[in-house]
Amino acid sequence: MKRTGASGSAVHDPVMELEGITVRKSRGLLLDDVSLRVSRNEFVGIIGPNGAGKTTLLNVIAGFERFEGALRLFGRRESRKRTRETQLRIGYVPQLFPIDPAFPILAAEAVMTGAVGRLGFFRRSGEAEREKAMRLMEMMRMAHLADSPLGQLSGGERQKVSLARAILQEPDILLMDEPTANLDIAVQREVLILINELHRRENMTFLFVTHDFTMLPAAMRRAVLLDRGRVVFDGDVSGALSSETLSGLFRYPIELFERNGRRYVSYD
Amino acid sequence: MEQLIDALAYPPIQRAVLACVLCGAGCSLLSVFVVLMKMPLIGVSMSHAAFAGAVLGMLIHVNPFLSGLILCLLTAGILGPLSDRTDIAPENVLGILFSFLMGVAFLGMGILTHTKAEALNLIWGSLLSLSGPHLAVLAAVTVLLVAFILLFFKEIRSVLFNRRLAAASGVPERPIYYALLFLTGAIVSSNLTTVGGLLIFALLVQPGATALQLTYNLKHFFIISAFSGIAACLLGLVASYLLDLPSGAAVVLAATAIFAAAYVFSPKRRKAGPKKGKPVS
Repeated sequence: MKRTGASGSAVHDPVMELEGITVRKSRGLLLDDVSLRVSRNEFVGIIGPNGAGKTTLLNVIAGFERFEGALRLFGRRESRKRTRETQLRIGYVPQLFPIDPAFPILAAEAVMTGAVGRLGFFRRSGEAEREKAMRLMEMMRMAHLADSPLGQLSGGERQKVSLARAILQEPDILLMDEPTANLDIAVQREVLILINELHRRENMTFLFVTHDFTMLPAAMRRAVLLDRGRVVFDGDVSGALSSETLSGLFRYPIELFERNGRRYVSYD
Repeated sequence: MEQLIDALAYPPIQRAVLACVLCGAGCSLLSVFVVLMKMPLIGVSMSHAAFAGAVLGMLIHVNPFLSGLILCLLTAGILGPLSDRTDIAPENVLGILFSFLMGVAFLGMGILTHTKAEALNLIWGSLLSLSGPHLAVLAAVTVLLVAFILLFFKEIRSVLFNRRLAAASGVPERPIYYALLFLTGAIVSSNLTTVGGLLIFALLVQPGATALQLTYNLKHFFIISAFSGIAACLLGLVASYLLDLPSGAAVVLAATAIFAAAYVFSPKRRKAGPKKGKPVS
């Protein structure tokens, strides 16, 4: 449903087109001729084992990586170097990263750093930005943590801060690099539900990178499977989640079965 | 005490006090970046660049301050792009640059036969022989640093928090980072003769580390850091005058004492402390 979007013409309205994207490093190809079209408001999962090139793909889109091939964002051909305007339209949520518990930044301040680029030089982030940040934190049920030092929050709370930070930037595309990695199972669920809710509320295209096919957000409809830098599957999530495909992708026997409409995974 | 007040009437002493305040402020404001970006080696690299530059300047009869500044800015110019390359860790880049510059400096010292004493001043500093124009330069770079922090505070906060995230959300983090490196070069080289090349390193780390014990507020962090740096410089100067100690060493020991006090009385540690130590009963 999301693939057609609200207007019904979203399929013909790609925000992102990759054609033959290749990333070459001395140790080999990190991405090998990757082509991909993503429409407005789509929620695409990039799934693959470690070293498949998932993060490299996000880095190409985010402007952190040199590449060969053609990348179009919002209809414009882009290289690694971006204009500030384009950069602002792409949000980025990293994996949980370590932070010194004594680091002098409060949760709300960390969220507000998302607005710094958008505001530009010499403009202070005033009441309006603070209100937006607080509303986001309320929606994430963490308003009470606004004045807590960021370094003292739990991993899940810090990931929510990262999400709120990226949303405050008001991007058109949100890139998420394993946002739930290293969180315990209950917190992973909580963050995924939040991501679903954000996708429903915000008018954004979501790209979600993960190696964990058992923890996918419900709003994700499309899956792109990456293996050794190549796209080996691009289609419905339900199509991607088959015993055969996953066993091949992860080079490990994985069994999937359904009972009462729920999907179960079994592996040794 | 009277002795001290009498001494303040002499212009060289006045200049020394002013230089001390400027040095304390400049270095300790930089120490916020050094501590929060976890790059203590930048201080040693820059001070050795300034030192090597000054020694080379003496060799080829150029104003040592000028040649020190030039080598510092060159180092900053190399360091930025080099540490942005993903294939070498920034700590390694700094480590290599640092040892290279130390080599250059000592090579220069070896060749320099007649004016070794002057070069030794660069290591330990000589507060009392500061000239008026030198003081003006010192004031100018300190004001520049303060202006940079005030004007780009929100950009600085986002870069300090996470450079990559700052870049991803459209903050010009490279210009901010490179400006910071150049300012470090300018501050370090202009302070080389006040506290000396070896001791500048202490002032580039300790005030920031002191502030880290005391606050979660970045604004207060800068202020605490600056004040503890200035206090260390003045205390050190007074102690060196009264007790006839080498001034650079006295300044650094004062800074360490302030850090130790902050560490012992840190409210941040006390708040976080019991959590860890609490028995599971």
